[in-house]
Amino acid sequence: MVFIFGFNFPEQTLVKKSLQTFYGIGPQVCQRIMARFHIHKTAKVGGLKNAQVLDLNAELSQMKIENDLRREVQDNIRRLRDMGTYRGRRHAMALPVRGQRTRTQTATSRKLNKIERGGSGQIKL
Amino acid sequence: MFPTRALCARSVWKGPNIVPLPIVRPKPGERVPPIKTQARSATILPNFVGLKFQIHNGKTYHDITITEDMVGHKLGEFAPTRKNFVYKQTKNR
Repeated sequence: MVFIFGFNFPEQTLVKKSLQTFYGIGPQVCQRIMARFHIHKTAKVGGLKNAQVLDLNAELSQMKIENDLRREVQDNIRRLRDMGTYRGRRHAMALPVRGQRTRTQTATSRKLNKIERGGSGQIKL
Repeated sequence: MFPTRALCARSVWKGPNIVPLPIVRPKPGERVPPIKTQARSATILPNFVGLKFQIHNGKTYHDITITEDMVGHKLGEFAPTRKNFVYKQTKNR
């Protein structure tokens, strides 16, 4: 097991996969981080050197990810809601915000549009 | 991450949509009637803060007091235009 940013990862997982489990890191950001620390895209967590793990930790702790990012998103939505804007209203009602149709197919908005957005994510192992 | 995204909405050279509204500077101890307007697309400017507006929603006028957060949004965002669907039971049958 290797510790990255407070989470345990089994040694045989890809570095790419393990980075992308964090809220706020997708394919693009992940690629950029790995390029900066000269990590190959097929590298496994077990094969990382100690210095590289420390570098990754330092980089991740500087970025706005996980709970900080969730809080920012939620604050933005709450601000819209408290002002009484149309967008805030639509978030609160779990309906499409940007003028999409509502006659059918609003599954995504029903799933995502809420005041407390981004509740699930990385589960502590 | 996408610096152009904020600029997608409206060309910068146009500036904000400034609509000439009958804004009266309130003298102390004097009540100012709310500003009745149909200009929903007017951008809220910093000098609107604290003023009362009556914004048209297509049918009636909604009373809104402008706060500091609202600067940069449009007046129309604060006056909802749609009515929620409510089922009405028919009497006959």
